Amino acid sequence: MPVLECKGLTKRFGKTTALDEVELAIEPGRIVGLLGPNGSGKTTLIKLANGLLTPDGGYIAVCGGAPGRESHSLVSYLPERTAIPTWMTARQLLDFYGDFYQDFRRDAAEEMLDHLGIQPRQAVRQMSKGTREKVQLIMVMSRAAKLYLLDEPIGGVDPATRDYILSTIIGNYNPEAAVVISTHLIADVEKVLDEVIFIHQGRVMLQSTVDGIREEKGISVDALFREVFKC
Amino acid sequence: MLRKLLKHEFRATARIMLPMYLILLVTALGSNLAGRKMLGPSDILNILGVLIVMAFGFAIAGVLLMSFVLMIQRFYKNLLQDEGYLMFTLPVSIHQHIWSKVIVSSVWFIATVLAVIAASLIVAFQGGFLWELLDFLRWFFEGLEKLKISEALNGTVYLVEFAVLMFLALAAFSLQFYAALAAGHSRANHKMLWSVVWFFGFQFALQFAGSLLFISLDRLGIRNFLNLNLDLDMSAAAAIHIGLLLMIVCVVIYGAIFYAVTTFFLKRHLNLE
Repeated sequence: MPVLECKGLTKRFGKTTALDEVELAIEPGRIVGLLGPNGSGKTTLIKLANGLLTPDGGYIAVCGGAPGRESHSLVSYLPERTAIPTWMTARQLLDFYGDFYQDFRRDAAEEMLDHLGIQPRQAVRQMSKGTREKVQLIMVMSRAAKLYLLDEPIGGVDPATRDYILSTIIGNYNPEAAVVISTHLIADVEKVLDEVIFIHQGRVMLQSTVDGIREEKGISVDALFREVFKC
Repeated sequence: MLRKLLKHEFRATARIMLPMYLILLVTALGSNLAGRKMLGPSDILNILGVLIVMAFGFAIAGVLLMSFVLMIQRFYKNLLQDEGYLMFTLPVSIHQHIWSKVIVSSVWFIATVLAVIAASLIVAFQGGFLWELLDFLRWFFEGLEKLKISEALNGTVYLVEFAVLMFLALAAFSLQFYAALAAGHSRANHKMLWSVVWFFGFQFALQFAGSLLFISLDRLGIRNFLNLNLDLDMSAAAAIHIGLLLMIVCVVIYGAIFYAVTTFFLKRHLNLE
């Protein structure tokens, strides 16, 4: 059973169609790149999967059901912005995630925070922007979820932090789960992806395995992306 | 899950309200001292005393204002701004989110009133104050002994009814703001401006509906209905109970309307930026 499935999914904002009849299915155990230029509909799709938006047409299912309270306990979501309360200390943040998510692995999170040199009493607001993003990612990846939806996890950070983020994702995700990474920085994520979905102007243009692209087209995903989305 | 939401909501708000109460109590102690020790021939002590009393006034205004601002700010910042991405993806229902905000705001409103009363008692405390208080309590309990059971029972029930009415009124008051914020933030642009427009829209609609209801009742001959059906010889005690219960029903309806509006917009038209 797909962990994320869309059929004819449509979302409009006024006269603008952000997603247009999107059809896709993501199976467990895969790391999938949701790739597209800025404004292509990646964030809208992820928000719909999280129930933060309601579709105008079609159907979206997460772990077999409509997005809602049940799916929230199965999905670990990294928004494109810092959403963790900045007044909380690292320890309060651990309490918060531990209280609401049964699959939260506090020991794993503590180990990663310790590795970053973050003290339990340190408030999020005292951390740099990059550290806040790392802390948020640590919280998200410390869950043994069925689906990880990571919206632009490496956007706006330096190359060293990108490496840290990708290694944190690869080192901590539940192997039985699917990981969806939304980004336009293809070259950085290509090495960790099993599958890619190209999305442009709200439409899915391609869904394929990374190996399939290399075998059939004889080029990398990054090269194919540049070819498909050439301005 | 509501219990957990309440725990974290109290944690988020207590870090602001408890220091405010501390400032209130410290300035109240200062004002008490100023009233008793600082007024005299020394100009410096006089000025200091006046400043401390002024600080107490500002502290009262501050806690009242802060409990109101916090009620709005927590809903706005925690649910409709960036933190909303975290909050609305927790495995909790929209109803639980709303209840946690309503309950915590109402509790802080009540705690603020109690803190202001306590601070005022501290300011009024004099050497003989304790004796006066003991005299008052003695007089009160002696009075209680003379009461009939029915009178004591009625008094207790009035207090309970009044407390319930106050709590519900505070909750409904918060819900009107929440409904306006939720409706305004369903728009793509100018969310706060739309929230203000919705708030005044609700206010206008309420007053319009209220006036219409009174006029309709009058036209329908409510006076005749009252004359025919109400026992005007009922005791004053029963009339007060009926009055309080009617007010509770009205406040519940008022709150329920805004609860439904808030739920509708957060469930169906959530539009985080």
